[in-house]
Amino acid sequence: MNAARIASRVAASLLGGYAFVWGFVTLGIALGLAVGMDYDDARTLCNLLAFLVFLSCFCWAFAHASLARVWGVLAGGGLLMTGAAWWLLGTTAL
Amino acid sequence: MSSPVLLLLPAALASLAGMGWLALAMEDNWQRVHRDRPLRPGKSATLRCIGALAVAAALLLCLRADHPTMAVLVWVMSLSAAALAVTLLLAWRPTWLAWLCR
Amino acid sequence: MFSSFRLSMAWLHTWFGLVLGYVLMVAFFFGALSVFDREIDRWAIPESRFEPQPMPSFDKVLKPIFQSITPEDEELEAARERVGGPLPEKLPLMNWSAYTTHRDPVLSMYAEFAVTNNPNDPDEHVHGHVTIDPRSGEVLPHDRLKIGSGFFYPLHFSLHLEWQSLGYWIVGLAALVMLAALVSGVVMHRKIFREFFTFRPAKHIRRSTLDLHNLTGVLALPFHFIFALSGLTIFAGIYLPVSETMLKPQAQAHAMEEARAKGLAFKPSGTPAPMASVDAMVLEAKRRWAARDMPGEVGFLQVHHVGDANGYVSIYRAGSDRVALVGQAVHFEASSGRVILEEPPPTPVASINNFLTGLHLQHFRHWLLRWFYVLGGLMGCVCIATGFLFFVEKRKAQHSRQGSNASRWVDALAVTTVTGMVLAALAILVANRLLPVDLPHRGDWEQRFFWGSWMLACGHAVWRSAPVARGRLAPAWREQCWLIAALAVAAVALNWATTGDHLLSTLARGYWPVAGMDLSLLVCAGLAVAAALRLRRAERGSAAPAAAPEAAARDKLVEAPRV
Repeated sequence: MNAARIASRVAASLLGGYAFVWGFVTLGIALGLAVGMDYDDARTLCNLLAFLVFLSCFCWAFAHASLARVWGVLAGGGLLMTGAAWWLLGTTAL
Repeated sequence: MSSPVLLLLPAALASLAGMGWLALAMEDNWQRVHRDRPLRPGKSATLRCIGALAVAAALLLCLRADHPTMAVLVWVMSLSAAALAVTLLLAWRPTWLAWLCR
Repeated sequence: MFSSFRLSMAWLHTWFGLVLGYVLMVAFFFGALSVFDREIDRWAIPESRFEPQPMPSFDKVLKPIFQSITPEDEELEAARERVGGPLPEKLPLMNWSAYTTHRDPVLSMYAEFAVTNNPNDPDEHVHGHVTIDPRSGEVLPHDRLKIGSGFFYPLHFSLHLEWQSLGYWIVGLAALVMLAALVSGVVMHRKIFREFFTFRPAKHIRRSTLDLHNLTGVLALPFHFIFALSGLTIFAGIYLPVSETMLKPQAQAHAMEEARAKGLAFKPSGTPAPMASVDAMVLEAKRRWAARDMPGEVGFLQVHHVGDANGYVSIYRAGSDRVALVGQAVHFEASSGRVILEEPPPTPVASINNFLTGLHLQHFRHWLLRWFYVLGGLMGCVCIATGFLFFVEKRKAQHSRQGSNASRWVDALAVTTVTGMVLAALAILVANRLLPVDLPHRGDWEQRFFWGSWMLACGHAVWRSAPVARGRLAPAWREQCWLIAALAVAAVALNWATTGDHLLSTLARGYWPVAGMDLSLLVCAGLAVAAALRLRRAERGSAAPAAAPEAAARDKLVEAPRV
C-alpha cells in the first residue's frame, strides 16, 4: 500500500464518485423529462437518490480490488452517463 | 387525539420496557441481572415476544398522540433513548431491571 | 489494496473518520444546539424575551416597516465585487417576505432589491433585513447577533466559510463520510446484535471506549443516517448544481411555464399598481386552510413584484403540527385580493422531499421530539469523540515506544474539538453578557471572542498534551473541563447580573427559553466537574481498569473515560 495508490484510490472514491453521481443525476433527469415527468419532480427524485448512489460508489471504490476498474467504472461511467444526458437533452429538445 | 402527554408517557414507558425485555432475552444481559439463574430458551423466546409487543404498543400510542409523520419519528427516537437507558442500567444498576422479569 | 471487504471498510472508517471527524463534531454539536436556536437567541437578546406572537397585521404594522427597509451594507459590498464596479443609484424593490415560527417572539422581515448592472447575472440582487417586536412594531437594534439562529445554526452547515461555498462543501463531504462511516462501522462490528445493549465501563479503557463508540453509533443509527442524508439532500442544489449548468434551459423553461400555468408572473410588468388589503388575503387563506381541515397560522408571507400590476402575494401555512415545513400556499393577486391559485397537494416525490427536509429543519411543535433530537445529536458527538479516543488509546503505547508524536497530535486535536469547542460556545455567551450594549459591531466582537477562545483552547491543548507521547493521559482534558464548568456558571451568573432574570424568577413565571438555557448551562457545569474529578483520579497513573464515567456524562461530549 504505497502513498500513490492510496491517493489514487481516495481520488477515485471522491472525484470518480462525484463524476458518476453527476452523470446519474443529469441522465436521470433527462430520462425523466423524456417520459413526461415534471422537471421539479425529476430533479427532486434524482437528488433524493444521488447521495445513496454516491455512498455506494464511495464504499465500492475501497471494497473493489482493481483500482483501474474503479476509475473506469466511476469516472468512465460518469462521463458516459453525462454524455448520454447531453445527447438526450440536445437532440430531443426536451 | 387525546392530550399528548397522557399518551406519550405510556409510550415512553412501553419503549423502555420493550427494550428491557429484548435485552434480557439475551444470555449475557440476563446474567448481569439474575446472576444466580441461567436463561432458559423458552423464557428467552417469551421475553423477545413481549418485548416486540411492547415496542409495537409504543408505536400505537405515538400514532394516537400526533400526526403520523411526527409519530413515527417520536417512536424511533424513543426506541433509541430507551435502548440507551437499558444499556446504561445494565452497566451500572442491573438490579433495577430485575422487576422486568423475576 | 485490501485483502478483504471487512478490512477495506475498516481502513475507510478509521482514516476518513479521523480526518473528517473534526468537522463532523462541529456539525453534530452545533446542530444539536440549533434544535433550540431560537431559545438561545432569547437568552442572547434580552429585549426579545417575551412570548411567541402570531404574525401581526400587514396593512397596519408590517407595510410601513417594509417600506423603510434598505439593503444591507455587507450585501452591497459583495454585490459591488460581483459587478466589478459601483451599483446603480436606485435599486428597484422586487420582493418582500416575513417569516415566523411558533417559537419566535420576534418577526423577521426581508426585502429584495434588483441590481441591474451585472453583465454576468441578470438576476443579481441584494437583501435588506430587520427584526421587529410584533406587539409594537418596534424595530430591534440592528447589531444584536442571534447567537442561536444567526451563529450556531449557520456554523453547523457552513462553518461560516462563505467563500465559494467552501464551508458547505466541507460539511457536505463530512456528511458523506458520516454515511460511509455508519455503513463501514456496521460491516466492522461483528457482533452488532449480540452487543446491542453492551457497555462494560469496568473493563480496560480500550474496551469500554469502543463499547461506548459502538453503542452511541448503533443505538442512534437511524438518526445519524437520516440526518446526514437529509442534510445532503437539503443542499443538493449546491452540491449538484445541474439546474444552473447543464440543465439550465430546461429548468428555466419549466419555471416560466409553471409561472404561466399557475398565473403567477415570473417578471414584473413595469406598470405600477396599488396593493389591496393583505390582511383580508390572510383571512381568506386561513378560511381555506380550515375548510381543508387543517386550520393554522401564517408561517411565511411573500409579496412578489411589489407595487407592480403583476404583483402577487403568497401566504404559506406554518407547519407546526406535522413534519413538512410550510405549505398549503394560497396566492393572491396583489392589486385586487383575488385568489389566483391555491397550491395543489404535493406530488409523491415532493412529499418525500418535504418530509425529509422538514424532519431535519424541525419547525414542528413537539418538545419531546426536540429533546430526542438533542439526545441524538449529543450521542453523535460522543460517538465521534470516542472514535478519536479509541484511535489514540490503541496507538499511543506503540507510538511512545517508537518515539512518534502522532498520538499526541491526534489527542491535542481531539481536546480542541471536544472540550475546546464547548469552551468556545460558552465564551461567546459570556462575551454576549459582558460586552457593552452600545458597542458598534457588537455581533462581530462576540464572534471574535468565539474564534479567539477556540484558538486559545487549541494552544492550551497542544501545550498540555505532551504526556500522550509517553503513553499517558493528557492533563489538557481535565483542565479544560474545569474551565467549562467555570464559564458555564459564569454565564448563568452574568445573565442574572445583567438582566435580572435569574433562574428562580424565570422558573416561577415559566419562561422556559431562558430558564431552560440557564438549567442546561448548570447541568453542563455539573457534568464538567464530575468529568474533571474522574480524570484527576485517572491521571494519578493508576493502572487499574478504567473508572466508570457518569451515566449522564454519556450524553455530554465533555466526558473522557480514561485510565
